Amino acid sequence: MNVHYYPGCTLKEKAVNLENSTIASMKILGCDLQEPRGWTCCGAEYPLSEEKIAGLAAPARILRQVEAEGGTKVTTTCAFCYNVLKRTNYALKTDPLKHKRINAFLKDDIAIDHDTKEKTTGFPPYHGNVSVVHLLEFLRDDIGFKEIRARVKRDLSGLNVAAYYGCRLLRPYNEIGMDKPDDPVIFEDFITSLGAQVIDFPFRQECCGSYVSVSRPEAASEASYRILRSAKIEGADVLVLSCPLCYYNLDRQQNLIKEQHMEFTGFPILYFTQLLAWALGENTGSLGLEEHCYNPAPLLESLEKAEVAE
Amino acid sequence: MNQNRPKKKIGVFVCHCGINIAGVVDVEKVAQRLSSYEGVDFSVDYVYMCSEPGQKLIEEKIKERQLDSVIIAACSPTLHERTFQGVAQRAGLNPYQVEIANIREQDSWVHSDKDKATAKAARIIKSMVEKVRRNESLEPITVDITRRALVIGGGISGIQAALDIADQGYEVLLVEKDPSIGGHMVQLSETFPTLDCSQCILTPKMVEASRHPNIKILTYHEVDSISGFVGNFKAVIRKKPRYVNEDLCTLCGECEKVCPQVVSDEFNEGLSFRKAIYMPFPQAVPGTYTLDTDSCLGLLPIRCGKCMEVCEPMAINYDDQEELFEEEVGAVVVATGYDLYSLDHLGEFGGQKYPDVVNGLEFERILSASGPTGGVVRRPSDGRIPKNIVFVQCCGSRDPENHNPYCSKICCMYTAKHAMLYKHRVPDGNATVFYIDVRTGGKNFDEFYQRTIEDEEVMYVRGKVSKIFKEGDKLIVWGADTLTGDKVEMEADMVVLAMSMVPAQGAADLFKRLKISTDINGFLAEAHPKLRPVESLSSGFFLAGCAHGPKDIPETVSQASAAASKVGDLFAKEKLFHEPTVVSAEEEFCSGCGICVPVCPYSARSLNRERGVVEVNEVLCEGCGACAAACPSGAAQQRNQTDDQIFSMVKAILGE
Repeated sequence: MNVHYYPGCTLKEKAVNLENSTIASMKILGCDLQEPRGWTCCGAEYPLSEEKIAGLAAPARILRQVEAEGGTKVTTTCAFCYNVLKRTNYALKTDPLKHKRINAFLKDDIAIDHDTKEKTTGFPPYHGNVSVVHLLEFLRDDIGFKEIRARVKRDLSGLNVAAYYGCRLLRPYNEIGMDKPDDPVIFEDFITSLGAQVIDFPFRQECCGSYVSVSRPEAASEASYRILRSAKIEGADVLVLSCPLCYYNLDRQQNLIKEQHMEFTGFPILYFTQLLAWALGENTGSLGLEEHCYNPAPLLESLEKAEVAE
Repeated sequence: MNQNRPKKKIGVFVCHCGINIAGVVDVEKVAQRLSSYEGVDFSVDYVYMCSEPGQKLIEEKIKERQLDSVIIAACSPTLHERTFQGVAQRAGLNPYQVEIANIREQDSWVHSDKDKATAKAARIIKSMVEKVRRNESLEPITVDITRRALVIGGGISGIQAALDIADQGYEVLLVEKDPSIGGHMVQLSETFPTLDCSQCILTPKMVEASRHPNIKILTYHEVDSISGFVGNFKAVIRKKPRYVNEDLCTLCGECEKVCPQVVSDEFNEGLSFRKAIYMPFPQAVPGTYTLDTDSCLGLLPIRCGKCMEVCEPMAINYDDQEELFEEEVGAVVVATGYDLYSLDHLGEFGGQKYPDVVNGLEFERILSASGPTGGVVRRPSDGRIPKNIVFVQCCGSRDPENHNPYCSKICCMYTAKHAMLYKHRVPDGNATVFYIDVRTGGKNFDEFYQRTIEDEEVMYVRGKVSKIFKEGDKLIVWGADTLTGDKVEMEADMVVLAMSMVPAQGAADLFKRLKISTDINGFLAEAHPKLRPVESLSSGFFLAGCAHGPKDIPETVSQASAAASKVGDLFAKEKLFHEPTVVSAEEEFCSGCGICVPVCPYSARSLNRERGVVEVNEVLCEGCGACAAACPSGAAQQRNQTDDQIFSMVKAILGE
């Protein structure tokens, strides 16, 4: 199987462990990921201002490139990229005015041939026909959770997992439509397919503090603390997420949380792809776990020991 | 087409309407011009035709000159057609020989050029002369009335309507889909603003209805369809098998003891359990057990059959069957009530996940002395008495973006009542109410609400709740205080959600089968929001209670009584009269193509395939003329509005 894959810039820089574990697990599942040529940043945030056209040009260009390469589907793991690409696609499909203006803008793009350095322009319009899916959706609909269940090599039955959605995967519902925003199940179903135990915790869709961590880190870390505290109270061993910014706030900022809350001793965080890769048989060494503020490797290894001991 | 132009003596009466007409139209000139028009015997103008002297003038001239038809050139026929028909009748002329030429709304009010308006007035009148020349004398169609009412729904509105109709001396069929009458009111604990025990005031009415010689109660029955027309409906009613003969059942309760199937109890809103063979509540009417086949192990003695074995009076019959039967009624009162908007719609409040987040009706059962906790306020999860309780109003109401746009009207009052009753039962507990606005319009309502705040010390927070979740054994309520702009977070042992009221489950389907119109929210539409509030647009259908929109008990009872009195009005008539200006299907021209059948909005036309012609039920025909326009052969002719008349009117208007 072969599918277009848009990594986004964060996965090449701050979240290499997310990218590596994604590629590794997809390889095990027999799926090649193909990056669209010459991709750029998606913009990271769907335009918040009324003038939306400039902000939508970059994601529209990425989607157009996927289509030009014969792709009908593009998958992404970063929740922000997913949100931006999907909403851009929705806008192109449903808003004739935006469709017209964005395409008028992109028509004059200049393409430079790598070898001949020849410049061409006059791009055909893009109508929003590439389907944008999050890797979780791809795993559910294209690979199949059943198939994953069959491929799982490790026993995760002793692991209690808090599945954390954050804000970007589910809202706005009419544009994203991945799952019911108030009562989603896809992440839980994924965790279950790996054989781990899902714990229900009420903060699974609450905001982690997002990029407020830039301007007021202590406010963001307070938001993150409440999420981690809730997961712990409900009996989770680990919190699993898909968004690099959530990861930053929930894991990398744990030292700040510790400063603010004496009783907080740290909590392991994993990208869903790290847990997937490990369940499929990858070793902890290849998952980039040492980059985590709170290293989850001992937790995973302890499971394995327990298994051996039995 | 002019060969059949009957010779008639026609009188033309031109009204000044003060200066309304005469200010723009030269009425004298018009009257003069018309006097020489073919067939016009007499023509005159007068300042107010509708006044007493004006009417007298018309009456005298009809008699004096022995007029065959008259034209009144005045205002729109919607205003005074009946007045002038009455005048003609007094003068011994058939009322269908009167035509109104509208020279006010269609002429003087919309023009300012006097000459042109005068010429137009003359043409309008001439066209009516052409029409009236061919008018037949008609008699109204009379119809008999079946003086028997059908009431759909056995809640307080249906019971009240049935009792009031029955007391007027007419027979009533009261159809209820559940095993007992009583509706939601019988589930309530105490009622605002007097704190009367709901069951105590309702059960005497239930018993009265069951004993009333004019009322036949059909519980566990549903109305399948209704055909016919006002005064003469045929209702098809579906009897659901109860498997227990209500006349034989002695309520000994032996069957219930041996039944092995335990299921959640609807009467207690799922807060307790019942058996598959059950009586919904002790005061149920009729007093009988009902076997619920959805939860029964199977109606085969080989599978279980325990209840049948122990039933001494042999009231249980596993061979009971669903039956359809027809009843003739003259009027229908639709009182199908409401249900609460499902907690499913409010995932963020966790209503389906946390047992201690309950809706208003569940809390009524918890408060009720006959409820699952015997009236002690205990939370469903562990039976503890909640010391902190939060009430959330407008759950699903007044939220046009996500839920229902309307106000459910009763929640402000019942939440105040809930909080008050809670404080009576748990004096050391804390009650908090989240509200958007508190609406207490009603007699003694605001006093009650003030008592809740001042005497019972219930805390009211103006704002909305955003999320409810569990932490340990506490519920955490997040919300906003919109008066201070602060975020609010509080712990609660129990949360009560005042869910929006929606039309009863299955009502939408029923209304479609009855062909009665609803509003945008699925509640029944009234004929006029102010002047005809208990009548449906479909003649012969009346509305009562929450099927028409959220309302409290006093309002429901008033509306039910009003509907009953409207039914009485109808039944007090000797005959029903129907306009005779219906559309025929002339058999010599009708080819039986059937095009007019689906065109008719009143289902008045049907194709007789054997005879190859369309037949018309004249009582159903409202004379809209849609079929006459659709008919390709000219067989569909409306009385006094035939094709011949229309063509000659057009010619007159065009001055040909």
